[in-house]
Amino acid sequence: MRPDPQPTDLQESFQALVEEHKKILYKVCNSYCRDRDSREDLAQEIMFQLWRSYGKFDGRCRFSTWMYRIALNVAISFYRGESTRTLHVTSCDQHLLEAADETENQPENVRLLYQYIETLDPLNKALILLYLDENSYREIADVLGITETNVATKIGRLKSKMKQELNS
Amino acid sequence: MDLDTLKATWTEHNRKLDISIRLNRRLLLAANMNRVRSPLHRFAFLVGVGALVGLIGPVILGQFIYQHWTEPRFALPAILLDIWSIASVAASIRQMAMALRIDYDQPITVIQKQIESLRILRIRIIRWALLTGQLVWWTPFLIVALKGFLNVDAYQTLGAAYLLSNVAFGLAVIPLAIWVSRKFGDRVDRSPILQRFMRELAGYNLNAANASLAALSEFEN
Repeated sequence: MRPDPQPTDLQESFQALVEEHKKILYKVCNSYCRDRDSREDLAQEIMFQLWRSYGKFDGRCRFSTWMYRIALNVAISFYRGESTRTLHVTSCDQHLLEAADETENQPENVRLLYQYIETLDPLNKALILLYLDENSYREIADVLGITETNVATKIGRLKSKMKQELNS
Repeated sequence: MDLDTLKATWTEHNRKLDISIRLNRRLLLAANMNRVRSPLHRFAFLVGVGALVGLIGPVILGQFIYQHWTEPRFALPAILLDIWSIASVAASIRQMAMALRIDYDQPITVIQKQIESLRILRIRIIRWALLTGQLVWWTPFLIVALKGFLNVDAYQTLGAAYLLSNVAFGLAVIPLAIWVSRKFGDRVDRSPILQRFMRELAGYNLNAANASLAALSEFEN
């Protein structure tokens, strides 16, 4: 269990944990949004929700699992187009999350994978991201709110579907 | 090529990301300071303000009903308006409470179902408000407003036939509005707000929300 820290400690520990797991933010934003502005908005929205819920994070699950749950929930809601998307607190030349390894420099296989992920519906997108990041079936089930058996079945289906599509 | 082969590439990509990703700490701090409001909070805030403003109506109408309790021809339209206003405030409070209850720190299927239910509730409320509002906020409002603000008897000044024909017109407009929205809802492409309004009136958005809910249930099984 995490001890009750002071507000500044809380902020520092939060920043350190986010820094450590920033890849999750990058991968979720990249999988759910095509253009850079939307990715930036989504990243900020995820950060806001993470910070808002951080006080309740009790360490019972891994921080990465908890971060995935919130990030994916926000991404799916955002993706649905319900949000008004007027967050832009950044200027054009400043971004919350930047990667030197942008889409054009990605290896062909990774680009192929992102392209395939893009074709999936929001829930299966979440499933495949969690699977690729080596989360256990138990963790995937916890994040998605379905049974482990269901996770295994769905991954099996996705694998055969992907094999068929990529080989055709 | 299959998913497991690509998983190995993904792991390698993951390792490289560690080096190449930069998180802007200054912007992260700005986001932490709650300078941005989440869409759900914004929604709850706006609905709350709407409910607060909406409370003024029942207060004024309550006074009118009290003053004209012995004259049903004035009291009844006011009661109709009052019921509509109270129902509207109650619906706003319900939406606000639902929006504030949503906490992203829950499994995806649970939260997405809550969001979809809120969406369905909002669409239904807007639809009913639009369809019944034109009925309530024309003839009954005219009768109450003329009497309340100008002390004019609409029945005598405008005539019962005029008022009745307006009620009949209002009733006829309801199916007509639904038909027009269904027919032309997809053709209104200039204004996203107008398009959303037409789609909500026609029930397209409600169908889409129900379809999402069905997809969620299917995903769970």
